[in-house]
Amino acid sequence: MMRREKSFASKKRNEKVANIVSLVLVIILALIVMLPIWWIFRSSLMTNAELFQWPPKFLPPNWLFSNYKDALVYFPFWDYFRNTMTIIIPAVIGGTITATLGGYAFARLRFPGKKFLFSLCVGSMLLPTMVTLIPLYIMWTRGFHMADTYWPLILPYFCGGGAFNIFLIRQFINTIPRELDEAATIDGAGKFRILFSIILPSIKSAMIVVALLLFIQIWNDLLQQMIYINTSENFTIAIGLSQFKGSLKSDWSAIMCATCMSFIPGIVFYLIGQKYFVEGIALTGMKN
Amino acid sequence: MQKQYKTKKMHKNETLVAYICLIPSIIGLIFLTYVPLAAVLGLSLTKWEGVGIPEWVGFANYIKLFTTDPYFVDSIKVTIYFSFVAVIGSMIYSLAIALLLNRKIPARGFFRAVFYLPYVLPAMAVYIGWSWLYEANFGLFNYILSLLGIHKLKFIASSELVVPSLALIAVWLSGNLIVIFLAGLQNVPKVYHEAAEIDGANGWQRFRHVTLPCMTPIIFYNLLMALITNMQVVTPALALTQGGPGNSSRFISYVMYQYAFKSGKFSYACAIAFVSFLLIGVFTVILFATSKNWIFYEGGEE
Repeated sequence: MMRREKSFASKKRNEKVANIVSLVLVIILALIVMLPIWWIFRSSLMTNAELFQWPPKFLPPNWLFSNYKDALVYFPFWDYFRNTMTIIIPAVIGGTITATLGGYAFARLRFPGKKFLFSLCVGSMLLPTMVTLIPLYIMWTRGFHMADTYWPLILPYFCGGGAFNIFLIRQFINTIPRELDEAATIDGAGKFRILFSIILPSIKSAMIVVALLLFIQIWNDLLQQMIYINTSENFTIAIGLSQFKGSLKSDWSAIMCATCMSFIPGIVFYLIGQKYFVEGIALTGMKN
Repeated sequence: MQKQYKTKKMHKNETLVAYICLIPSIIGLIFLTYVPLAAVLGLSLTKWEGVGIPEWVGFANYIKLFTTDPYFVDSIKVTIYFSFVAVIGSMIYSLAIALLLNRKIPARGFFRAVFYLPYVLPAMAVYIGWSWLYEANFGLFNYILSLLGIHKLKFIASSELVVPSLALIAVWLSGNLIVIFLAGLQNVPKVYHEAAEIDGANGWQRFRHVTLPCMTPIIFYNLLMALITNMQVVTPALALTQGGPGNSSRFISYVMYQYAFKSGKFSYACAIAFVSFLLIGVFTVILFATSKNWIFYEGGEE
């Protein structure tokens, strides 16, 4: 009896020690992960002379927020931001709506060819996007004459919003009890009515996740932006930043200002949707 | 009789609704996915440089790729090398972080947000920011090395270190894997752990024989997605290295990009795209084929 109690107490103590060790490790790792971001930020607030000093300083000697004003003269962030948003807003809306419709059909409706369509959909998830890049480029620029416009970057998102997102919405809808649908059917509601009055209100968080994922995906899609956009008035943040870096080889302080400015929109959107985000991503990893 | 008619009508209605909902996706699947895939194969068997009518050349592009092309074979090696380092690195990193975050520690949500943050930053900015960290004389990493008494390294400016350096950025960016792992860990049934504990299993044994087997489906999913993403790697070359130094970061996608959009050799680039499709396909099939041996499915599901 005594021994058992003792071992129980020691187990509790072990557990506590393990938790403290984990906490310390997590703090250290979090600091390491944040260090690059801090270093980029701190560099944006220093002069180039200060940057090229040895040993480097961890804190900026003077916090030169005026660097940002100077960088904005050569780096028209707001123009790039507006251009980027001109792509992202319609694409995200289109992608979220069409992914939701698709996810609803696969989760709740019975129709001939469902299995086949679903496997085509999942199959396309395994198909690397770079493989189809060239035929699509030919189609958009030669077939539809849309070179140097935003259409090739926007329109694809009105065509399903990506298999992954359809799948995510489907997973989410599967967690809603079917009894709700059935009750509504008995009350005479049609399938669209069920979608709007039962399904949509319960999958708001999934739709926010899809919107955020699409946002990140488009934000990061440097390759497609580079092949479709040619004139500098149409540049997105990503292309603008790459041009800016190319033209200012070693003005690191200005480059870091531009880099930090490009960080901000992503961080803001993430902080807004953070709660839903974690929830939603988690569901994508679940077994179907 | 009437009732039967009504259910039939309802089914018809349901089918109609389903197809209306799926019209966008069907258009996307046909015209943006599977037709282009067929077009890649078709175009790769021709010679076409952006003007005129494609001329049929059979497998000439493929033969040229594997025999005389100065970049292609090396680009396969570099891409596989990068993918392996990046995938293994990010899997270990994100599983370790997820295991730590799964313990009872304060401010878990905050730490999860911290580790996830790099993933939401725009890739272009990330690579440019890191290029400053990797700077040969005044960069952060060389400063840290100098504090440890190690000689300065050239990182992305050195042909030996460029791939591991870029893979390290990929690991740093893998916050989404952490969140998926974490969700999986929270679904490991508690009773298994309790049972193992009663049987006297220690922490490591519980991890090895309870946590890990329960996590295998999620490990598989993350592995597959990370592999497909990293095999297509192109952004670091576009943003930072332009394939260099030498050819040491000239990834398959970058070679394809250059042939198609810099030299206008569209059909030749299509052959590259199709080979990379087959390559990724082979890895996917291998993963699926071996998965039966190591994925543990809880008590006879499905």
